[in-house]
Order: sequence, then C-alpha cells, then structure tokens
Amino acid sequence: MFDRDTEGVRIELRALTKHYPGQPAPAVDNVTMDIPAGELVVFVGPSGCGKTTTMKMINRLVEPTSGEIRIGGQDVLSLDPDELRRHIGYAIQQVGLFPHLTVAQNIGLVPKLLGWPQAKIDDRVEELLALVSLEPSTFRGRYPRQLSGGQQQRIGVARALAADPPVMLMDEPFGATDPITREHLQNEFVRLQRQLHKTIIFVTHDFEEAIKLGDRIAVLREGSHIAQYDTPAAILDAPADDYVAGFIGQDATLKRLALMRVADVPVTDTIPDPALPQVSADTTLREALDLMLAHGTDRCGTPTGVLSYAELCAVVGPRPEEAMTGDR
Amino acid sequence: MTAETLTATRVRPLDRFPLGPRHLITPAAVCVALLALYAWVSTLELDSIEQRSLNSSVLLAKTVEHLEMALAATALVVVIAIPLGVLASRARNRVAATVILTLGNLGQAVPSIGLLVLCTFIMGVGFRTALVGLVAYAVLPVLRNTMVGVQQVDPALIEAARGMGMTRGQVLRRVELKLAVPTILAGLRTALVLTVGVATLGAFVAAGGYGELIINGLKLNRVPVTVVGGVLTACIAFLLDWLGGLAEDLLKPRGM
Repeated sequence: MFDRDTEGVRIELRALTKHYPGQPAPAVDNVTMDIPAGELVVFVGPSGCGKTTTMKMINRLVEPTSGEIRIGGQDVLSLDPDELRRHIGYAIQQVGLFPHLTVAQNIGLVPKLLGWPQAKIDDRVEELLALVSLEPSTFRGRYPRQLSGGQQQRIGVARALAADPPVMLMDEPFGATDPITREHLQNEFVRLQRQLHKTIIFVTHDFEEAIKLGDRIAVLREGSHIAQYDTPAAILDAPADDYVAGFIGQDATLKRLALMRVADVPVTDTIPDPALPQVSADTTLREALDLMLAHGTDRCGTPTGVLSYAELCAVVGPRPEEAMTGDR
Repeated sequence: MTAETLTATRVRPLDRFPLGPRHLITPAAVCVALLALYAWVSTLELDSIEQRSLNSSVLLAKTVEHLEMALAATALVVVIAIPLGVLASRARNRVAATVILTLGNLGQAVPSIGLLVLCTFIMGVGFRTALVGLVAYAVLPVLRNTMVGVQQVDPALIEAARGMGMTRGQVLRRVELKLAVPTILAGLRTALVLTVGVATLGAFVAAGGYGELIINGLKLNRVPVTVVGGVLTACIAFLLDWLGGLAEDLLKPRGM
C-alpha cells in the first residue's frame, strides 16, 4: 500500500462531506484540505464540530457521503477498508487496550494481522516499548489492568506505531490523563515525532495542546468548516476572525512566547552574568519571562549572554503598523 | 516519570494459579452427604421392591442415564444458544433479537411436563423426546448471557479493534467472544444445574434417570427409594455446578 515509505505521506481531502440520514445539517460539510507529508496537523474545535468525524473518514471508520480522500496520491475510497486501516496508526482517548491480551500482544496485534513472522513482531515490540520509555522486560508480559493511566496511553501510542505506518490518526490520545502525566506524554510525543516524521492528524479540543504539538492547526467550526488553517505562530499572530480569537483566549502573547525558545532570540549583551537567574538554550521564552517575574528582575542569563525583557518584548511585540491600529 | 520509577509501581498478581482450597468445599460436602445417605439406607430393612431399585447396578445405570441426558442437553444448548445469542447481540438485528429472546423465554416459561407430553405426541417416548424438553428449558440462560456478555464489551475496544484493521469476524472472535467468556460460562453453569433438575422428568417419557427412582418410590410408597433418587439428583447438581465453577476460573481470560 502507501507504506513502502514509513515516513509520512501527503493526505488530501477534497470536498469531503458526511451527512447522517435524518439530520438537518451535514456533520462534515464540504471540507477540502491538504496535509503535507511528515507534518502533525491538529484539528481543534468545540465538541460536536465534526473534527472526529472528519478524522474517522480518513480510515473509513465513517464512510463519507461524498468527496475524495487521497493518501500518498492513492484514492482511499477504492481500497479495502480493513486492509487500509492496518496501514494507518490509530490511537483514541479511551486507549482501548484489550484487557485479555498482554502488553506485547496488544502492541503486536497489527503486525500479526499483517502476517509478520513472530520473531520480527517480538523485536518490534521490544523496540517500541523502549521508544515510549517503558522497560521491555518489565512491561512486555503485563496485562493492561496492571498499568497506570499514563502507561496505558503510552502503550496505546506504541500500538498505533507498531506496523510503522506513514500516517497516524490520534483522537485526544492524552485526554484521559492528569495534567502532569499529560504534559509529560506531550513532551515525549514531540520528541518522538521529531524522530519519526509521520503524517499525523491529531484531534483535540485543547488549544494549548494544539499549539504545543502542531506543525499546523486547523481551527474548525460547526460542520467541520475550516475557520483557519495555519501554523500555530501565524494563528496566534493573526487570528482570522473573532471565532478563532475566542478559541485562543486572552493570553495570545504568552502562548506565542511559549512557542519560542531562548536559542531563537539573538542577544545583544554577550557577556555572561552568573549573578542573574540562568536559563538554558531550549527553555521557552514563556518560562524565561516567568523566571524574570519570579526574581523581580528584567534580565536573565543565557548560554550565549544575557536576555533582557526589552528583547523579549521585541520578539512578540506588535509590528509598527499594528501598533497604530490598536489591538490585533 | 522515568523508566525506573515506572517499573517500581506495584503489580497485582494475575499469573497466580486460579484454584485454591475453597474449591474443595463442594466435593467434600457431597461426599459427606453421600456417606450419610449410605449409612442411613444400610440401617434399613429393605423389602424386595426396595431392593430391586436400591442396588449398585440399578443406581449406576440411572446415574449414567441421568448424566447422559443432562450433558447431551447442555451440549446441544451450547451449539444452539451461543450462536443465537451472538446473533441477538448484533445491534442491526433488533427484530431478530426480540424473536429469539421471546422463544427462549417461552421455552423456560412453558411447564416442562406439558412440553414433554406434547413432544411425546410428536416423537413418541424415549431419550430424544426428553432431550427436546431439556434443551427448550435450558436455552434461555445461555442465550441471554451470551447476548449480554457480547453487548457489554466496551465500545471503545471495538472501535480500537476496527480502527486497527480487524474484520468484523476477527473482532467477534478475538475480542467480543473472548471477553464474554466469563458471562457465557456462568450461563452454561446455570443451564447445567437446571437440566440436572429437570432431567428427573425424563422418567415420564421413559428416558430413565433418577426420576425413575423418585417416581417409583412415590407410586409404590417406598420413601427410601424416593429419598435416594432425590439426594443423588441434588449431589449430581452440586458436583456439576462445582465443575462449572472450576471451568469458569480456569477458562476465564487472564488479565481480567
């Protein structure tokens, strides 16, 4: 199929529509969208906006009423749905680990469906457990009930990755965990995606999560209409309309700071000052600002010199023409 | 949360052998009951009529007949009720489910004696007639438990299974039925005990079994014969229920 290449492939949606019989309006109405190869695109929108339905049409858990879906140039609607799904990773909020199978059997399920030899499956399970930071010898033989929520979510992601599919669909895969575990899983997932370069469609209603994970964000409204489809920075910088602005919330600037890292800002003062609070190169600017506020200072030490509050402001501050017209 | 701290979390043991001393209680109690019965009968002066029923060859023959009826009926119930239960559990078959369940309910609601008599008109007397009555009576618990067992499987599991590329048949065999095993076995255990009890009615259609002892004892006013038939029936029921319990514990999928 399209997974000769295990790195991401391009997904194209053309006039995709889903109209459930007996409902006045289509759940997904005429959506056209390109998802570039190897990018993580987040569908974000309120409950019931059709984001999950849109995603589920891609692996045909929901059959489109009309429209076209291409993955890596191949027409998805002409393929056998079961075979198609074996080549698309799928992770859901409830995780859905099979309680009667061990961790190894859960992860090895799709490879087994694809007819891999057992030795190859065992090696792959080993590799994936290590990839999601779970000790293989300890976790291989456990049953899902013997795992914490965070561990189950990791296994869920590992299972979706099992057959090394070029495309992954993830429906709030970290939604059911506590904030600390969630943050941790998100960070690991970002790290993972940098290694793997899958094409990922990630559904969430949490805009913070969308900013953190997405290469691009599609803000969706009712009927899965695209309100704005752009990079996180561009959306935060210039929301298309009030709907998108409402989704971003009040602290757009802080959110933009969180997207940038100390290393991204060229400092003018290159003489290190050990007396100042210190930040590392991959600290986010938001954390740097927090540190300054906490220490009541307007400067902090970086590996290359000293970062000042004025420099921080310059990075996110309004451009001259925007400053004249007031907010946004 | 590093790999070290994760491995340190306590693990509930699931790999322990599932049988223990509590599984010995029922057979012990049955042994005591049988010994007490034997001791009581030995103290009696049996007349020739009683001796004709209460000897080892007759008792053995009746035991074999009774077990044959109960086990054959249960085996047929498995073959009939589990597929019907699966069929009734499919959401698309709303009408079929209603019809199947109504038939199952009917089988249990109709008095077994009446059903056996009706069957006699059609099939004559004998083992096969008794089987029909028993099967009709015992289908419901297995049918209903299969249906419930399959329906109660977490929809998220089915979605995950479908999303991973399992066909509908694979989802049914590898997920739904596997997870329904404890519920189905519980229904089967109930059916087994029911058939042991109802198999006593087999005597009315000349299919033998302990029912013959009970009925003869009543007809000829020989209390010991009736009591022996009744106690043996109860003991067999307890033993089969015990075996069913063992099967439940042994066949239940690990990890649950």
